[in-house]
Amino acid sequence: MTAVLDVKNLKKELDTFSLDKVDFLLKEGCITGFIGINGSGKTTTIKTILGLYPKNEGSIKFFGKEIEKNEYIVKNRIGVVLDEGYFYEEMTLKEMKSIIAPAYTNWDESVFLKYINRFNLKLNQKIATLSKGMRMKFAITLALSHHADLLIMDEPTSGLDPLIRNELMEILLDFMEEDGKSVFFSTHITSDLDKIADMLILIDKGRIIFNESKDELLDRHALVKGDNSLINEHTRRLFLSLRQTAVGFEGITDKLDVVREQMNDCLIERPSIENIMLAYVKEG
Amino acid sequence: MLFHLVKKDFILAKKYLLFMLIFAVIGPIFIYSKLGFDNGSFTSFLITVLFTEYILFNMVSMQEDKYRGSALLCTTPHTRNGVIKAKYLFILVIFIGCFLLFNLAVAIGFSTGLARLNIYSIGIALLIISVFFGILIPIQTKFGYEKTKYIFFILFLTPFILPTIIEWYQSMNFNINFQLPLPQTVMVWVPFVISIFIILISMIISIQIFSKKNL
Repeated sequence: MTAVLDVKNLKKELDTFSLDKVDFLLKEGCITGFIGINGSGKTTTIKTILGLYPKNEGSIKFFGKEIEKNEYIVKNRIGVVLDEGYFYEEMTLKEMKSIIAPAYTNWDESVFLKYINRFNLKLNQKIATLSKGMRMKFAITLALSHHADLLIMDEPTSGLDPLIRNELMEILLDFMEEDGKSVFFSTHITSDLDKIADMLILIDKGRIIFNESKDELLDRHALVKGDNSLINEHTRRLFLSLRQTAVGFEGITDKLDVVREQMNDCLIERPSIENIMLAYVKEG
Repeated sequence: MLFHLVKKDFILAKKYLLFMLIFAVIGPIFIYSKLGFDNGSFTSFLITVLFTEYILFNMVSMQEDKYRGSALLCTTPHTRNGVIKAKYLFILVIFIGCFLLFNLAVAIGFSTGLARLNIYSIGIALLIISVFFGILIPIQTKFGYEKTKYIFFILFLTPFILPTIIEWYQSMNFNINFQLPLPQTVMVWVPFVISIFIILISMIISIQIFSKKNL
């Protein structure tokens, strides 16, 4: 598969936070979930790869081209949804569109109107009067109306109710039906990714912890439960995270075979993405 | 594409746009009638332009600061350079608009003595605007709207202080003449050339500053 985004050794220093040698690669035709707790570096990474934060070091290639030298070509092929929207709220939807649309060579007015109707948005409505959900839908409409090949979304589901979040997931799956499309989607609500993600990247304290396929990640880890008597100095080391209460223990392991061999009578379950994310973040 | 970014600025300033259009016509007639010295037409035009530019530019800067829309624009092919270039173009478009409306004001207020401006006077007005905004835009790009709004409040005061300064200047009978070895027909265009030079230098500085900003 071709790499739609190739980030190498990316460094960005802010006053109180820094990205440290961030490396990852997005494959074409995949929905990649970019996960991490609040403040882990998701927004900083996205803003840096988009050039909103100038990088200190590293290389960022979209479709094999350095974004710095090919900004116009690259940005024509990506659709972006930012966490805070960054709309001029005094403008109407129609006015905002009239500023954004001419920037793209592939702007498709019929696609724009299709989404406007699908989401029941009113073009003469002021952006300031839109609810958070409607604002996100408008941002997605703008991002999808120029036949982008890569959709980059920063926390699009944050603060939205489950119904709208589910609708967004369906839109992303519709978008992916066309060949050559990819999505890079940051979130701290990992349940959204259970249904749709192909790949997962975990970031914590500005460093990439893992970047692998969701299925492999879930197969490689296990949620283990059992009696406290099974936990000793040796078995404790088999867990990425371990929580013990008066009634027993619960832990996440990436050494499933060893656990099966050495800990009889324990209950082994398939973990959620959130279980795995929290296990690595706690460990860090 | 630059045109659409300038259009964006006019949409952001739309609340004041009608008022400023009326002011650009009535302002010169009113100011001229209050001035009691030579060259009143030029002074009334200059005050009108400075005031109009300041109000509209300030309105746009305030909303840019509040909504941080340039971050969204920079995720599109508009690019950072385009955002900065559009600011200068916005100033230039307002200047041209004010000049055209000043001619309308001359037609209306001809009986008061308000007269058309020659090319040299228009060039001097553009030069003064270029100096003001050539300083303001890079400083505002560097430090943001909030930190710089009071420094440039002085522009807002121009209708009140500029006539006094010009009157004082004329009463002192200073005679500063720069004689360049150029024919008169070329000399009248010199202020335009200097203005373009100032705008270009300022634009390059602003682009440099903006390219390093975290949006």
